[in-house]
Amino acid sequence: MKLFSSFVKELKIASRGFYFYIEIFMALLILVLFLFVIPDNFDSKKSEYIYLDMPAEGSEIYLKAILDESIEGKAEEVKVKINKEEKKASLYTTDNSRIYILTSREDTIYMADKERKIAAIIGMDENYNFHYEYYLQGYESARYKDLLKILHVHSSDVIEEAMDNIEVRPLLINYDSLSDRENMLPSILVFNGSLMGLFIIAAYIFLDRQEGVIKAFALTPTPVWQYLMSKIGVLMLTSIVSSFIVLLPLMKLRPDYLLLLVLLITTAFFSSSLGLLIASFYKDIIQAFGTIYIFMMIMILPNIAYFMPSWNPIWIKIIPTYPMLEGFKSVILGSGDTSYVLSISAGFLFAGMILFALANHRYKKTLVV
Amino acid sequence: MITVKNLFHSYNKDGNYQVKDVSFDIEKGEVFGFLGPSGAGKSTVQNILTGLLQLQQGEATLGGYDVKNMSKDMFNKIGMSFEQSNVYSKLTAKENLHFYGKLFDNPTRDPMELLKLVGLADKADIRAGEFSKGMKHRLTFARSMINNPEIWFLDEPTTGLDPSIAADIKDIIKQKNKEGITIFLTTHNMFIADELCDRVAFIVDGEIKLIDSPENLKLQYGDKLVKVEYFQGDQVLQKTLSIVLPEDKELLRNIIENHEIRTMHTKEATLEEIFIKVTGRGLI
Ligand SMILES: Nc1ncnc2c1ncn2[C@@H]1O[C@H](COP(=O)(O)OP(=O)(O)OP(=O)(O)O)[C@@H](O)[C@H]1O
Ligand SMILES: [Mg+2]
Repeated sequence: MKLFSSFVKELKIASRGFYFYIEIFMALLILVLFLFVIPDNFDSKKSEYIYLDMPAEGSEIYLKAILDESIEGKAEEVKVKINKEEKKASLYTTDNSRIYILTSREDTIYMADKERKIAAIIGMDENYNFHYEYYLQGYESARYKDLLKILHVHSSDVIEEAMDNIEVRPLLINYDSLSDRENMLPSILVFNGSLMGLFIIAAYIFLDRQEGVIKAFALTPTPVWQYLMSKIGVLMLTSIVSSFIVLLPLMKLRPDYLLLLVLLITTAFFSSSLGLLIASFYKDIIQAFGTIYIFMMIMILPNIAYFMPSWNPIWIKIIPTYPMLEGFKSVILGSGDTSYVLSISAGFLFAGMILFALANHRYKKTLVV
Repeated sequence: MITVKNLFHSYNKDGNYQVKDVSFDIEKGEVFGFLGPSGAGKSTVQNILTGLLQLQQGEATLGGYDVKNMSKDMFNKIGMSFEQSNVYSKLTAKENLHFYGKLFDNPTRDPMELLKLVGLADKADIRAGEFSKGMKHRLTFARSMINNPEIWFLDEPTTGLDPSIAADIKDIIKQKNKEGITIFLTTHNMFIADELCDRVAFIVDGEIKLIDSPENLKLQYGDKLVKVEYFQGDQVLQKTLSIVLPEDKELLRNIIENHEIRTMHTKEATLEEIFIKVTGRGLI
């Protein structure tokens, strides 16, 4: 009962302060960005502008070759704005590029020169060999340039044959995947929930220290752990609310929300206990800031591994946010690995309990400082 | 109700003691005061007794409980008004009292009743953050009564309050004492000590110099004083002289013989004058 009353009190205090709204506000901001600004999948297709400087028979062969590559199997008639004029062009969309066939050499050079696009003029000599004039912008990678050089050295047959001999074998068969946008969500949940929680609970403690209310609390029969736990309760609540604000509209019913709740509660418990423990060593937020900053930076590192699968050193897996990211991803996928999520939740609960016990021990000793 | 034996305390644990060999007893129903200048160690002793500071050396009991391992139950029986007010600025006066009351196991007092007592009834729904210093202090004071404490610690209960409010607070303290509550207060105001305390301890540099009732002290140390105003040329000079100390008597005789006297009164020694005489130090 006392614990609940303390929780209500902390909630009242928090709701009248600024920190309480950071997470909620961030969640709403992220939601708006995700709904209206960030595309479902990041477009990595390059646009190329090409002029075919050759007789009709030649261009027919060439266009047929592109057509084979294109996804739709047909060209789209589009308008391209060139030098303030709408010009007709044919658009061929392939797996990794959008190829616009323009109708004049000048327009193509204009696109390269003024619009800074990748452009090429493809000609044909008397022996019916294609020759290529590429207009690059200078920011293309060396690999891309090399690719262009070798691309046309061999006849396309050789390349095709080589391609056919490469076997692409998916490592995980039958797994659900997230769109690029959805793939960012675990990272956002970890950052807005756990990392901000670590910082905000410390801020709450320092506010109380500054007001000296901890001393008054210490002279009541209510144990210190209830005071600390009531604060953690507030952080759990904001973490849950802000996560649901983001997930419900974006992921609808796909995630396993019950499992999500378990993971949110245990990770919030872990990170706010860590925040409490850190705060117990300092008098005010200015002194604590350096340490909190270092912890937050370390906890952000696993994001790099998360977004760059090629960089995945063993040590990064020890950082608690690593399993958090994996766990949230699994939950958001819906078809998630329940036993994995439950086992890391248990881990966070256990580690959180150790941190909480340490923090409780420290606060009992340092109430007046 | 409170016993303290050979209490020492060093904040930095470096052999520099801020409290040195302090011993005293407080009877049930007594008002006991620590009178001393700033930095004397008054709050330190109180904080050790309430468990806010760890007891380092010596012995202390509170209502029969050893302070070293105070039982939860003891906290139901003590109240403390802090020298620096410490209330939640984001909560209203009433909420502050309401939530604090919830932390005790025994029946607590009605927040509104307490607010009325300290003259904050009309401010009950205003957040403490908007309070003046004196209002916060009164709220802190009111909060210390919420659990009907049997032992009441008051650290500088009237410091910084305007005289009429200070008078109200003094009346509340007297009233509570009549109800049989044991009170341990600290002050550097000799009027408070004189008016409220059954016994006072003079404390300077962490040491108790003496403990006695204000009446006894005045009888013992308060040998009669004479306050004399006299002319020297056009100037009016003023001196307070003892009629017991030989050098003062000599000086007084000298003044009467050689100067025109303007006024001359006998005067009882104040606690402050006794304090200065005993400790060699002022109260400020
Ligand atoms: N947290 C602390 N760390 C180190 N020294 C302290 C601390 N608190 C108090 N002191 C020192 O202990 C001594 C006694 O302080 P204390 O607060 O008990 O004095 P006080 O008699 O209550 O004074 P005041 O009338 O100003 O409240 C002072 O010299 C003070 O500088
Ligand atoms: Mg003090």
